[in-house]
Amino acid sequence: MANLKASLNLRDKGAEFWERSPKWRRVAMAMSFIAFCYALPFLNNPLINTPGSDFQSVLFYPVGMYVLMAIGLNIVVGKSGLLDLGYVAFFAIGAYTMAILGTKTALNFWEILPIGVGLAMLSGVLLGTPTLRLRGDYLAIVTLGFGEIVRIFAVNTDSIGGSRGIAGIPTPPDFFNAKFTILDPKPYYWLLLTFTLLIIWMVRRMAARRPGRAWDAIRQDDDVAQLMGINTRKYKVWAFVLGAAVAGVGGVVYASQILSIVPDQFNLNISILILACVVFGGIGNVWGVILGAVLLAFTPERIRFLSQPRILVFGIALVVMMNLRPDGILPKKKREHFDPNWDTVEESGEGEIK
Amino acid sequence: MSEVVLELRKVTMKFGGVTALNEVDLVVKKGEILALIGPNGAGKTTVFNVITGVYKPTSGEVVFQGQSIVGIKRFKITKLGIARTFQNIRLFGESTALENVVTGADVHSKSGVVGAIFGTRRSRREEKANLERALELLEFMGIKKRAGQLGKNLPYGDQRRLEIARALATNPKLLLLDEPAAGFNPAEKVALAETIKKIRDAGYTILLIEHDMSLIMGVSDRVAVLDFGTKIADGTTTQVQNDPRVIEAYLGAPADAS
Repeated sequence: MANLKASLNLRDKGAEFWERSPKWRRVAMAMSFIAFCYALPFLNNPLINTPGSDFQSVLFYPVGMYVLMAIGLNIVVGKSGLLDLGYVAFFAIGAYTMAILGTKTALNFWEILPIGVGLAMLSGVLLGTPTLRLRGDYLAIVTLGFGEIVRIFAVNTDSIGGSRGIAGIPTPPDFFNAKFTILDPKPYYWLLLTFTLLIIWMVRRMAARRPGRAWDAIRQDDDVAQLMGINTRKYKVWAFVLGAAVAGVGGVVYASQILSIVPDQFNLNISILILACVVFGGIGNVWGVILGAVLLAFTPERIRFLSQPRILVFGIALVVMMNLRPDGILPKKKREHFDPNWDTVEESGEGEIK
Repeated sequence: MSEVVLELRKVTMKFGGVTALNEVDLVVKKGEILALIGPNGAGKTTVFNVITGVYKPTSGEVVFQGQSIVGIKRFKITKLGIARTFQNIRLFGESTALENVVTGADVHSKSGVVGAIFGTRRSRREEKANLERALELLEFMGIKKRAGQLGKNLPYGDQRRLEIARALATNPKLLLLDEPAAGFNPAEKVALAETIKKIRDAGYTILLIEHDMSLIMGVSDRVAVLDFGTKIADGTTTQVQNDPRVIEAYLGAPADAS
């Protein structure tokens, strides 16, 4: 039985295969995966089709958007262990920036994007600086409140449309041959995919270097992290701000695709669902989180033909899965490494230090 | 005389009605191994917590290299050059041994999040330097072959050694060791004593909490004794060994005294 389980452990097998592969094979594998992702809208396979909704639209929202946001929230929840229940607020700030500036000024999508991301980051600093001294449950409550404040503020502010929201948001300008129109979700999907790949690349770089180690330390033992010289406040705020930036990107792209937004799109459900993607996929592991987001976004669309009971079926599937794999589908499990060079020393007390 | 690295001046630490430390004076000189001993509950670890900024003393001064460090944030105190280990091992168990040590070595790096994202030259240089320093320290502590193992999976003794390596990685001017030999067998204690002396000989200053008398007598240059939060003796090992107050604190007053 144990043998069977070990032989079924595709996760470790996959990681081992990757590690043992020479560079050219890794590049080839990564390239073909990326190509596959870009080709997805053209795939018309009955297995992954979504009867009842347009497959290409589903790829953009919810699938692509959930993946992007789950990767962002994973920096906050997974890497540095801060429970953020108001993540949708940063998404809303990005979307509203696009909506307001897009309708009231002549700025185009590409000019608004950095502003939206910047505002989301700024709100991350403003929220993070005072609240990140709180830990665990207390932080969760404060962030939950923040998420609701942003939505309720939008509902009650008539100058930004109140509860009716903002309509007539411009689409991004044409990009070579790709035309961004409401009728064709493919260019939006590709745009989102490009951002997502870029963000994955950045996150992986950070995770392997000093910020990753600092977040690891903070998540495991905040007090010891401080005593090891880590400015824990600073790195927590950074995690918050980077998470906010990713949601900001999502918000700007989202608003430019759906053309009209209302505050109620940015409710608590989104925060919870994105968090569910992170937990369901495997907290802290970016590939697990992506898989979790894909499944959680895609499954309800795939089973739309069930109409009314589909949410019930979806809920049962979630509960069953979390019982079978309580740490998520692809849990973060740091694998141990053995470098032959490390084995050269015979016994204790060898070597010198400066 | 040799220069003073750390000085506690009349440090008092009260928790509600309990006085954990009562006007403790303590001087640590550069390049020495000062042992801090005392019965359980004497306030030894409280001294460490006051020095590293975990607690703010109720009154008194903590002067490190001529600068008062009372009220300074913990991570800044570490940056200034004080590092410690913990009585109950507190490693980053989900990180590898190597990562634990590199985390300590990161203290003096200048590059942060932005450098990491863009892979600046400074970030790459610092990553490489810290990795090399960490491997050096693992080798020095005799646990290089554990480099790739998770902290929590290391054998007990190696976890203690790893904590010392992690503290050394911050390049401290003062190293605080909180019962580094706890749970060691006699042979391991002898080896640890050698390691501690080697650390001193490499130019580090060490303040050591320990219960094992043979280890203390073997390594320390001076000994300070705490009892119920008060310093009752301070001197060379022989002076302290023969101090009647120390004997009383450890063994109780003779029955015919008074």
